[in-house]
Parts: sequence; C-alpha cells; structure tokens
Amino acid sequence: MRHVLGNKKVAAAFLGPALLVYIGVMVVPVIWSFVLTVMNGSPVLGFDWVGWDNFARFFRDPTARHALWFTIKYALVMSLGQVVLGYLMAILYVFVLKKLSTFVRTMVFFPVVLPSVAISLLFSRLFAVAPQLGPVNSLLQAIGIEPVDWFATGSAAFVVIVIMDLWRTVGFYAVLLFAGLVEIPDEVIDSARVDGAGGLRLIRHIVLPMSLPVLLSTIIFSLNNCLKVFDSILALNNGGPGTATTPLNLYMFQTSFLYSNYGYGSVLALVITVLCLTVTLLIFRSSRRDLTES
Amino acid sequence: MTPPADVKRPLGPRAARITRSTVVKILVVLILVIEIYPLFWIFTNSFKSQYEFLNTPLMSLPSQLHFENYVQAWTTGNLGRNALNSIIVTVPSLAVIILLGAAAGFALEVMIWKGRNSVLLFIIGGIMVPIQIILLPLFTIYFKTGLSGSYWPLIITYIGHSLPLSVFLFATYFRAVPRELFEAVAIDGGGPMRSFFSVALPVVRNGVFTVALLMFFSIWNDLLIALTFNIRNDMSTIQVGLLHFNDEYGSTNYGPLFAAISTTVFATLAVYLSINQQVMRGMTAGSVKG
Amino acid sequence: MANQVRSGLSRGAVLALSATLALTLAGCSGDSNDNPSGDPGNRATEFSVLITAENSAGADMLQRLAEGPCAEANAALPYTLDQTPSAQMQQKILLLAGQDALPVMFAAGQQFIYKDGQLAAAGQVLDVKDALTDLGVFDLITPAAQSVVDQLYDGEFPTLPLQFNTEGIFYNKTLFAQHGLAVPETVDDLLEAARTLKAAGITPFVASGKTGWSISRWVGEFIFRDLGADAMMRVRDGQAKLTDPEYVRAAQRLQDMGLEGLFINGITNVDMDTALNQLFTGQAAMMYNLTNTLQRINDPSVNTQDLGFFPFPAITGGKGSIDDLPANVGSPNVLSAKLYGPNVGVWLRCMAENYGSISMEAQGVYSGFKINTPVPNIAPLTAEIQERIDAATSTVLWFEALFNQKATTDASNNAAPLLTGAMSAEEYMSVLQADLEEG
Repeated sequence: MRHVLGNKKVAAAFLGPALLVYIGVMVVPVIWSFVLTVMNGSPVLGFDWVGWDNFARFFRDPTARHALWFTIKYALVMSLGQVVLGYLMAILYVFVLKKLSTFVRTMVFFPVVLPSVAISLLFSRLFAVAPQLGPVNSLLQAIGIEPVDWFATGSAAFVVIVIMDLWRTVGFYAVLLFAGLVEIPDEVIDSARVDGAGGLRLIRHIVLPMSLPVLLSTIIFSLNNCLKVFDSILALNNGGPGTATTPLNLYMFQTSFLYSNYGYGSVLALVITVLCLTVTLLIFRSSRRDLTES
Repeated sequence: MTPPADVKRPLGPRAARITRSTVVKILVVLILVIEIYPLFWIFTNSFKSQYEFLNTPLMSLPSQLHFENYVQAWTTGNLGRNALNSIIVTVPSLAVIILLGAAAGFALEVMIWKGRNSVLLFIIGGIMVPIQIILLPLFTIYFKTGLSGSYWPLIITYIGHSLPLSVFLFATYFRAVPRELFEAVAIDGGGPMRSFFSVALPVVRNGVFTVALLMFFSIWNDLLIALTFNIRNDMSTIQVGLLHFNDEYGSTNYGPLFAAISTTVFATLAVYLSINQQVMRGMTAGSVKG
Repeated sequence: MANQVRSGLSRGAVLALSATLALTLAGCSGDSNDNPSGDPGNRATEFSVLITAENSAGADMLQRLAEGPCAEANAALPYTLDQTPSAQMQQKILLLAGQDALPVMFAAGQQFIYKDGQLAAAGQVLDVKDALTDLGVFDLITPAAQSVVDQLYDGEFPTLPLQFNTEGIFYNKTLFAQHGLAVPETVDDLLEAARTLKAAGITPFVASGKTGWSISRWVGEFIFRDLGADAMMRVRDGQAKLTDPEYVRAAQRLQDMGLEGLFINGITNVDMDTALNQLFTGQAAMMYNLTNTLQRINDPSVNTQDLGFFPFPAITGGKGSIDDLPANVGSPNVLSAKLYGPNVGVWLRCMAENYGSISMEAQGVYSGFKINTPVPNIAPLTAEIQERIDAATSTVLWFEALFNQKATTDASNNAAPLLTGAMSAEEYMSVLQADLEEG
C-alpha cells in the first residue's frame, strides 16, 4: 500500500510540471531581479554594471521617497478602513441581519469582482467638477458646501482614492471576517448571555477576543495587498496631480516600462518586496499562532 | 459541506428591538444605495450623447436613449475583440493552474516521499513574492525567446504567479481527505493515477471550484501583467482596452466609453449572480471542509 | 550613462537563463520573423505601418491613400496596419528592433532616431531627405516643415512630416468685439484682455490638466519669446539649465496667471473635450492649441462660436519675436532603412504627392507636405492660418521637443499643479532638469 503512494517516479510526474513553471516564472526572475539592481541598460542593448548607483539614486530621488511614504500612508489608512468597516459589516451580518444577510452580503461583495479600471473611471466621474458637477459635488452643493476640485491636490485626491478602494474591497473583508465570526461556538455566546452580557458588552468581552486571531491575520493580509496598489490609482488619476498620489508600484512601472530605466526599476521593485516581506513574515507568525490555538 | 450558520441569537432584550429594527432598516437601505447607485448611474449615462455629457448635469437622466453608444463600443471601441482576448488568456491559464496545482498538491500532501515538506515550503514561499519583482526579468525572457507579441507571456505569467497559492490551497484540501479513501483504492489495486482522478479530485471538487473562482477573478481583472507584456493593440484585454479609450490628443467619446464600462460591469454581474452561492460558500466555509 | 564597461557576465547570464527557459517553453514558441530573401531591392513584402493606437487620423489617411491615389503602389506592396497604445510603443519598437523585425514605417521615439539614438546608430533609420530627393519630390515638403525637422534633428532628416501643426491661441471673436478687445501683440496686452474678460464673468483661458501639454506649452512659449528661439537647444546642449532664473521666470509667469484665476476652475481633471467644449460654447474666451483642432473648430455641430487665431504674443524686451512660428510635425514617422526599396519608393512618392491635399480635403488639417492638388472650400480660418504658415520666415520648436520621455511626462503631469500653485515654479523646473540629467 505504502509503495503505491510512495512511488517516486509518479510523485515527480505529478509535481514536476508545476515545479518547473514555478522555478521558471518565479524563482529565476526573482534572483535575476536582484542582479539587475546593480545594472543599467535594456533588454535590447544589454546591461552594464553600475554598482550601487541605482541604490544611491533611490536615496536622492524625492519622487521615490514620496512614493514610498504615500504607499505606507495608503496601506495604513486603507487597512484600518477595510478592517474596521469590514468588521462592523460582519457583525451586522451575523448578529443583526441574520437571514437577510445573504442578500446584503451579495450586494456588498459585488464590487470585489468588477474590473478595477471600470471602477476608477466611474469614480473619476462621480467626483468630477468639470465639465459638469458630478453626483458627489452636486450633493455637497445641495447641502450648502462649495464643490471641491477633488483631483487638484494630493490630499483631496487621496480622499477619493480611499473612498473608491474601500467601496471596492470592503465586501471582501466583510465576508472574510464574517467567516471568522460564524465559527464562534453558539454555546459560548449563550452562556455569556446567561451571565447577563448583552449588546456592546457581549461584543467587547466575548466576540472581539474570540475573533482576534482572524482579525489579526485579516489586518496583515489587507496591509500586504494595499502595499501593492496599482490599477485603481493608475486608472483614476495616474497618480496625480503631478506625482502626489503615485504609489511605489506605479512609479516602478513607469520607471521601467515608460522610461526604460530597468536597473533603477529593479531597485524600486526590491523596495516593494522588502516592504511586503516584512508584513508577510508577520502573516506567517500570526497564522501559526492561529493553528496552535485551534 | 455545511452551509455557514447565519442565524445567531439576538443580542439585546425584546423591548429595544422595534426602534432598533428601524435603525437597521435605514442602515441597510443606505448600504444598498451606496452599492447600487453608482451602477445605476453608469447605466443611465451610457445612453447619453457627447453633447449631454459636456453640457448637462452628470446626475440627470439621458434625454433619449442613444443605443449607438453600444454599437460604437463594440465596433470602434473593440470591446468584442478585447473580451475575446480576455477569454483567450483566462481560460487556458485557469485550466493549467487547476491541473498543475492539484497534481502538485496531491504529490506533496497525499503521496509520501522524503523532503516533500521542504518542497511545499519552497513553493508556498512564492506567495510572498510581489509580482513587480519578476516583471523585468520575465520581460527580457519573453523578448529573448521571441514570445513577445503573442498571448503566451500573459498565460505563462498568470500560471506561474498563481501556482504557489493554488498548490497551497490544494494541499490543505487534500490534507482534510481521510487517508483511508486512498488506501482503499490501493487495496483494490488502483495506482496513484486512479487515486488522483477518481478519488482525490472528486472529493475536493468544491475546493477546485474555489481555486478556479479566486484565480478567475484575479486573472480576469489583472491590469499590471496585461499592461506590461501585451504590446499589441489587437491583443488587449478588457482592462487594458478600457484604459486606452481616448485618441491621440486626449479626447474621449464618453457615450461609447460608458457603454463599454456598462457592458463589462453588467456582464460580470450576470456571471457573479449565477455563481454567487458558491462564491459565498467558498469564501466562508474555510478551506478544510471540502 | 555613467559606466559603459559592458559586463560579459550579465549578458552571459541572460543568455544562459534564457536558454534554460527556452527549453522549458519549447513547443510554445510563436511564429518566427525571418524576412523572405529573394529580390534584394525589394525586401519588403508589404507596406507595413506601425502607429499609435490613439492616432486614428493617421490610420484613416493611409486607408484613403491605399484605396485612392496610391492604389497602384498598394497593388505592388499591400498596406497593412498595426497599432499599439502610445504608452507601450517605444517598448515595442525596441523589441522589434532587437528581433530585426521592424515594419516599413513606424513611430519610433525621437530619442531613438536622433543622431546617436539606438536605431539611428544601428542603421535602421532611412534618411528621408535623400530618398525623397532621389525620387525628385523633396521640394513637396513645405519650408516650414523642413525647418522644424531641421531644428529637431540638427540637420538630419529621419522622419516623414505627415502631420504639421502650428500652435497659437484660438480666441472667441465675438467676445473680443463685445468687450472692445484688440488682438494682443504683447503678453501684457494679453493679460490685460484676460483681466477684462474675467471681470465680465468669462473664463479667459481654458486648458486641459489631463492633457498636460495644453498647459506646459505656455511655459515653452514664455521661454521662446523671452530668451529666443534657440533657448531650449541651449538647455539640450548643456549651456543653460532649466533651473536658471531666466527659465524659472517663465514657469513663474504661468503660475501667476493661474493664481490670478485667469484659467478655468478645476483644471486638473479637465480633459481635452471638456476644455474645447468651453471654448466652443463661448464659456471660455481663449485656448492655446494645435491647429489639428481646426477640424473640430470648423464643424458647426461641435463649435457654435466664431473663432479666430493669433500667434503667441511677444514679451516686451524679450529676445524672441512674435513672428517665430511655433510648429511641430507630430510624432515621428520613421522609414526602415533595411526594408527600403523601389516598391517602398513608389509609396513614398505617392504620399509626398497626395498626403497634403487629402489631409486638407478629408480632415481639414495641414500636413508637412504641400497641397499639390488644389482643395476647394477651405474654411476661412484654416486658409488664414495657412497664409501665416506660408509666410513664416522661421519656426520655433515646442517646449518638450528636445526632452526625453521622463521629462516630457513630468512636464505634462506637473503642469496642472504648477498652475494651481500646488507646486512652485522652481520645483517644476528642477524636476525637469533632473529628468534631463538622469534620464
């Protein structure tokens, strides 16, 4: 019996193709990319050795520094929004809406599956100030607030980006956290209620502690995704005005593929990787804690 | 497969429930308006003329229905071609991801050999790698091998980048399958092939569906990879096509653009609603209940 | 480039890795791109053209030529078209060049075809002047277009000037008359007129923040009028920096206008259509633009106003002149030196003879080629500007003409922030100067 499932040739045949593609598409390029950080050139003309120049350039490039800062700011604000709103929605689903929740969950989840470019084009119109006031500015005007030129300053554009990406993603995090809440055994909640706990107290003392592991890994998962933001901003305002809302990822893309600066682009890619790696290490640590607890 | 337990006991005493139910109703209506209004808005706008876009309030309804916007989106806007391209790159990628991912998951989790844990870790490590870092080298590879300008760069990259997560998920699904099932096949004299195709795959079919779904939406909605490797206009996917909906000097035909967005959105909605039950089950049931 | 020592290791590594991957991918490889040998004079088997996806006007023109006057050339060498979004065009050109698979005519970036550019150095670029002279049709290129190409490429002639645009300010004649305004000769007059209009509740200037060049060109015009027609060449040659005070002054002038509220509100997210619509409905009085907008200006279903055109005014005491005609020849149309032969020559001659007339007749816009067959019913404004072009003694380039890709993109992306004051004039110019130095 053992020998049937222990047949090494068969195992190799099953694993081989996936392993080969994985090494070719992921492992080799990652190593290669490290090498590119000390090079300059293009795929056509070949690459020249430039040592640490590209790294030095990163430290004196104000656009890159700003992009790094913007990326971190975006990730922190977005993660906070995604997790808090998602958690509130999940509580709404589980404790308030109950059976009704399927329909609401479906609707709130829907934007998750929409093409991000379509959503960005939609939001750039929703927040328009010209040629005609968009719905948001019309609404502001109706309640007596001056229409805002949302895309003229980095801070206003940032608000639009956050609102848009929250609209797009909260449904996903709500369902993720919903799954965690559903897992809390009914007996625990019942016995707490017998002890006189209700409403907010129940949530604070029973629900929150019980769903802490899920909450923690959701936070880190969300951070990790937000650090890679790209499509929505590219399509919304191309990181503008100027480069005020350009995340690292978009700057890396422009540097490499628009300005053909492959070496420096690799340094930027490396910075993104280091950022994600730091966060992802946290994911694994927290998920390990999940496993030992359950 | 146990459906998620939707029903929990109410939190508060009965007396407070009447006012609370009003609050809840308002809240739900508000949430639904926030979700649905933008879609309604984009749909109505897709029937406006260029003149209306520029000279009437954006919130107003179209004065007459310009269906030709949809015709233009399909003809000059290449929406049909782009949709076909999206299908051409998505379907084979999905098929290969499922097949290779499941096979590798099977080899790593069900079959027994030395070092399988290290190999599993080696592959799972790939989940951490952000796509940006592999773009440049891949670009060079596709260029040197003459694959640039075909659909292959997209398909190969999608497969490679999706494999770590797929293998990981399949390994978890297989872990939950009772080993007796495989041993029974072995007693009957069946080989690993039979174990895989007639026992393992059918048992985790919900898992297969979940992986397919996750990967479908991530590939279908991908922009970064498509934008990087696709250098031919007639090979643009829907996402890339929408991004380039204006002419050389930056002018836009709003009607057809909105018609294109609207078509994309509502086609996705149709797909989503038809499989929504499974989406929710896949998302909430967790990985191990396959 | 800082270090030109080629690393044998990196190339070797690249090849070794590619070889490994090629094995993995064996069987998936696409079709090969080898050229059919045979008649060495006619290496091209089709008149293959690669232009940007956004250039629908160019595609339309070539189609008209292939079906009309160039039918004969088309029979010998059938026309085929490939289009790529402009953002990916240069990447694609490099790929094709690397595979020796460039088409007959392609929109290569200026940096590649300028003297030391990668394609020029590799002998891929045909000298259009020589070819047209051999065909006896070089004099069909207008003197103005010749002058633009000459300045752009420092005497070389690597591009076919299919498009030709002069630039200047389109204005609403009715609004000017209502407020008793004359056509401004100096920038001071221009600002005076703008203030009068603003006081009357009319938006003086409109531009598009999303199409940033419609703003950044102002900076260029201020520089040319203030510092002379060769001001940007001095920057290219390193004799001056954009961060020098006299250059920063130009950006500052524009910002002052923006802060004074002379431009349309919400300019950052205004796109080209919105901007033009403001002009076409009389809500805004003036717009700096290219003459390719004439097609729309002359379309009564789009434009309801009586519009006129005046050249960018002079700066009192400046070295430039109001007679320096700002002009461009659109994106480059490069002919492959390797695929050039008699059959391509037939196409070339046909384009030279017909492009100007057909462009005017079908699209109402100018070309760098003369109008060889008279075109009836030219719109008055179009005819008026044509006279200016014919009378021009000298042309000046546009602001971004000699910039690299990054500087061009930044000039455009940062234009709206400069105008709204979100970015200072010094910052704007120093970003561009850094781009020019770092690439």
